[in-house]
Amino acid sequence: MNAPILEVREVTCSFGGLRAVDRASLDVEPGSITALIGPNGAGKSTLFNVVSGFLAADRGTVRFEGRRIDRSAPHRIARFGLVRTFQVPRALTRLSVLDNVLLAASGHPGERLSGLLLRPGRVRARERKARERATELLELVRLESHAGDYAGVLSGGERKLLDFARVLMAGPRLVLLDEPMAGVSPTLGRQLVEHALGLRADLGMTFLFVEHDLDMVMEASDRVIVMNEGRVIASGAPADVRADERVVDAYLGTTLSL
Amino acid sequence: MSTIASFGFWSFVGIVAGIYTLFALGVQVQFGFAGLLNFGHVAFMGIGAYTMAILVVKEDLNMWVAAGCGVALAMLAGVLLGLPTLRLRADYFAITTIAFSEILRYVATNEDRLTGGSQGTINLAGIGRTAQYDGAWQSFLGKVERGLNVSGDVATLILVWSVAALAVGAVSLVMRTPWGRVLKAIREDEDAVASLGKNVFAYKLQALAVGAALGAVAGLFYAWQFSFFSPDDFAPLLTFFAWMIVILGGLGRAWTVPVGAIVFGVIFAGTRFFDFPPFSLLDSTERAYVRLIVIGLVIIGLMLFRPQGIFGSREEMVLE
Repeated sequence: MNAPILEVREVTCSFGGLRAVDRASLDVEPGSITALIGPNGAGKSTLFNVVSGFLAADRGTVRFEGRRIDRSAPHRIARFGLVRTFQVPRALTRLSVLDNVLLAASGHPGERLSGLLLRPGRVRARERKARERATELLELVRLESHAGDYAGVLSGGERKLLDFARVLMAGPRLVLLDEPMAGVSPTLGRQLVEHALGLRADLGMTFLFVEHDLDMVMEASDRVIVMNEGRVIASGAPADVRADERVVDAYLGTTLSL
Repeated sequence: MSTIASFGFWSFVGIVAGIYTLFALGVQVQFGFAGLLNFGHVAFMGIGAYTMAILVVKEDLNMWVAAGCGVALAMLAGVLLGLPTLRLRADYFAITTIAFSEILRYVATNEDRLTGGSQGTINLAGIGRTAQYDGAWQSFLGKVERGLNVSGDVATLILVWSVAALAVGAVSLVMRTPWGRVLKAIREDEDAVASLGKNVFAYKLQALAVGAALGAVAGLFYAWQFSFFSPDDFAPLLTFFAWMIVILGGLGRAWTVPVGAIVFGVIFAGTRFFDFPPFSLLDSTERAYVRLIVIGLVIIGLMLFRPQGIFGSREEMVLE
């Protein structure tokens, strides 16, 4: 087995008296599509926030490609190559849909005042390339006809897709997706999964995603990690996890159709 | 001839509107684009004006060099203000900025050896010796007057508005670059921007510094236009004039600022001299207060019927 791309060790994160994440440990293998599942309140989103640097863990360590990131600022972590989406999509409403995607271009010289003044040629060239890529991504998520519209006019599902395009624009090696399929049509969802599989094959991109649609989880992922009450209670291949008694217990009462 | 019809009066209004354009453009960059609630903007104007005057009078520095120092110091002040405060939530940041501008005003009032104290720049060279910092400006203005064959007021008007137009153009251009895109994105949702690898804090600092530079340039013209100023000229009211201008014109666009500044200037300076009914029923002191009421009513009316400002975008206003 390869060294994990993401290593979470004994991470604890509490809000007042509530331990949202309680000594959680998990590994994400490079090139995998790993699903993080669990009932509401299991601590999945909190764990995402800790890994991406938006929340500080009380205890524990997080390593990305062997580098400790649990004390790094969110933008540093993103630059290392770990980029996330949010459960509630964060469309930048008064920017155009295209600008939303362009914003994610990394290492753009035009994002520095010095670059604008000293290297206008390079800025233009980079911007042209970024536009091509952004247009491709908008076509992928079927938002190309909205490219010039304000992102604020998009529906909730469309905003999810915009987030997806944006995160791919950033060109990360590990993508954290928080409920990427919520509000997205099943047909388009399937296409996005296929695209993710393609990116994994071509670029070795790794995906970790939270999802409630368990059919989707079983179909799309090659590893599943289950959380309950802040702890990681099981992990393994989808078929093994499905058979795990602790997982069934955690989901009892929520009509599990695994 | 009544004041309202005199050319001298309107060119004065035009000069003030030009200065306000530069000043309010700083607020547009900081709030309209980057979303920073800076309520202490007037401090940058004061730093620009005072630095220039002090360096000329006390250090005998070339006035243009001193003016550059004023702008640079204002930018530095913007960065120093931002370093400890930009991590605060928007409303707390706003409170600290207003405190910042008031602290500077009080320091300027009390440090008479540095600033001339409450008497203003007339005391810069010491009591009894009238200080003058704008000699170089007056001779430059004279050249422009002769060169273009215009009066002094018109020459000032041309100079102020040339610089203002340049600044508005430059800000418009820069806001269309990837740098401006990041700034506007921060206004929308800074967490989303950070999650894409942008250093939000650094961009906010830059926005503060750019806005501060514009405020300082406005301060220079203020100092040159009035030949004399005191700390009380930089009271918080002036900051709120800039905010009124930005709201009047419309948020998030550079070219709406001169529109707001002209409308504001005409109402503000004009109402004082409106000598037709119903204004003629009041004496000029009373009219000086009426203009504040008029501005207030205009803004209330605008918020009711045109919340996006005169030229702001309604479409942007209603997005969530």
